[in-house]
Amino acid sequence: MSGETEETFIGGQKTLVVEEKVVLDKEYDPEFVAEIVKYGGRDVKTCHQCGNCTGVCPYSLKTLYKTRNIIKMCQLGLKSLVLQTPWLCATCYRCYEHCPEDINAAEVMIALRHIAVRDGFIPDFIKRVTVNVLQYGQSVAPAREVEVLREQLELGPLSYAKPKYVKSINEVQYIIRAMGYDKLVHVKIERSKDKGAEKGEDKGADNSVDKGEDKGADNGTEKGADKGGD
Amino acid sequence: MAYGLFLGCLIPNRYPGIEWSTRFILGRNQLNVPLVDVEEFACCPVPGIFYSADKDTWLALAARNLVVAQDQGIEVLTLCNGCYMSLHKAAETLQDSKKRSEVNKVLRGVGKRYTGEELPGDGRVKQYRPVQVKHLVEVLANDVGIERIEDKVTTPLSDFRVAVHYGCHYLRPSTTHTIENPNRPHLVDDLVRACGATSVEYDEKLACCGAGGGVRSHVKELADSMTADKMKSIQEAGADVIVTACPFCLLQFDTAQLTLPGINTPVVHISNLIALAMGADPLFLGFDLHNVSVNPILRKLRRRATA
Repeated sequence: MSGETEETFIGGQKTLVVEEKVVLDKEYDPEFVAEIVKYGGRDVKTCHQCGNCTGVCPYSLKTLYKTRNIIKMCQLGLKSLVLQTPWLCATCYRCYEHCPEDINAAEVMIALRHIAVRDGFIPDFIKRVTVNVLQYGQSVAPAREVEVLREQLELGPLSYAKPKYVKSINEVQYIIRAMGYDKLVHVKIERSKDKGAEKGEDKGADNSVDKGEDKGADNGTEKGADKGGD
Repeated sequence: MAYGLFLGCLIPNRYPGIEWSTRFILGRNQLNVPLVDVEEFACCPVPGIFYSADKDTWLALAARNLVVAQDQGIEVLTLCNGCYMSLHKAAETLQDSKKRSEVNKVLRGVGKRYTGEELPGDGRVKQYRPVQVKHLVEVLANDVGIERIEDKVTTPLSDFRVAVHYGCHYLRPSTTHTIENPNRPHLVDDLVRACGATSVEYDEKLACCGAGGGVRSHVKELADSMTADKMKSIQEAGADVIVTACPFCLLQFDTAQLTLPGINTPVVHISNLIALAMGADPLFLGFDLHNVSVNPILRKLRRRATA
């Protein structure tokens, strides 16, 4: 396993970076540690590489991305390399519970995501879910099948289908715009105005990303994929 | 104090049976916990997305929900670990006066202001505490009490072997989460036992289902392979149903199993299980929408009823 790890870890640079401690000029960013702190991470320089975080991390045990190595890359200011890694942190916070230096690696990962988003690495699911929230006030798109069942269970209509809910959706849209979040993740807001319940159909046209086909797909996946958009 | 039912996104839109079960078990004929329906609640917002991309937006959107509860003088009752973590953490974060005033600047635009819940006092100095955010499990186990639940159980699920999955954000991070010891949780197990069922021990019980933090949306195969690991030890333990405290974990177990040949252990929310034990008709629990059929455990119940 270890040999393989060294081959593939962050573009095959593990031996070079972590062991031989060679940092190429073009990859070195002296501001990186400070930037992580700015977005709510602790000072990663205090990490002494004990590896507890890696031992309890569900994804470190399964993939070639080890928490400890990522923290090491951060210490070395290898911003461009770190930002290329996929978002594999489940934010389960087990690393935090086991860190003797109180680094909270999960929060460091969150800070790295903040930096990545600002550097233009915005995964599609971020946009898709944002579109749902703008559209329905909720992150999961409604599904017809579920609405039918809700009627049978006498649970009442979903929020988005209630005329009064338009006010709440407008508030959510206002906050997202006021915070500049729509621009940050490249999503366009269109005011839903008073006719909130033109549900179903061409939501894609309203608050759109590139193309919004399977918005439901995110949290709702299978069901969302075939029900959400029709 | 009454609880404002915070259903979140996944429950009303994917697993409405959880909503039905919760209303049933907390209803007048069962545990009689006062519930308020709050129409203005929006997405908590989902931590894997908003907390990942921009914490300030996350805080402002969460604060909006908290203000709705604050203005109605209610506590927030969440049925989902994600909602719990998002709102609970936001309420704690808003104790910081600088953060609070920044958020209030934005909320002013929608006519809202977060202060926290006002405590009764002598009227001269106003005192506030964070808006209270509670998880269904702690309300059931601590506020209602295990005994009262046991009293209401009419159909003990005595032959059910349950694998309990807590879910990460019910337990951690322990900085803001204080329901119970993250390394030795027992409240969901207690609730399962109150239903007359057996809670089986299995390896890596406290491990993540694989879905959290946007991983499910980002790299689904990997999330599924994590679930596969958990499923293996759940099967080895001989469980016939998985009980979660979180609809997102439920979704993950319920969909990831489709990719695992030969593995299909039904997954239900803790509220579903308690509703069954309190004699609810399974037809109302929305099990038709589950990918993994819940029939094996329902058959167990039926067999017993006819025996």
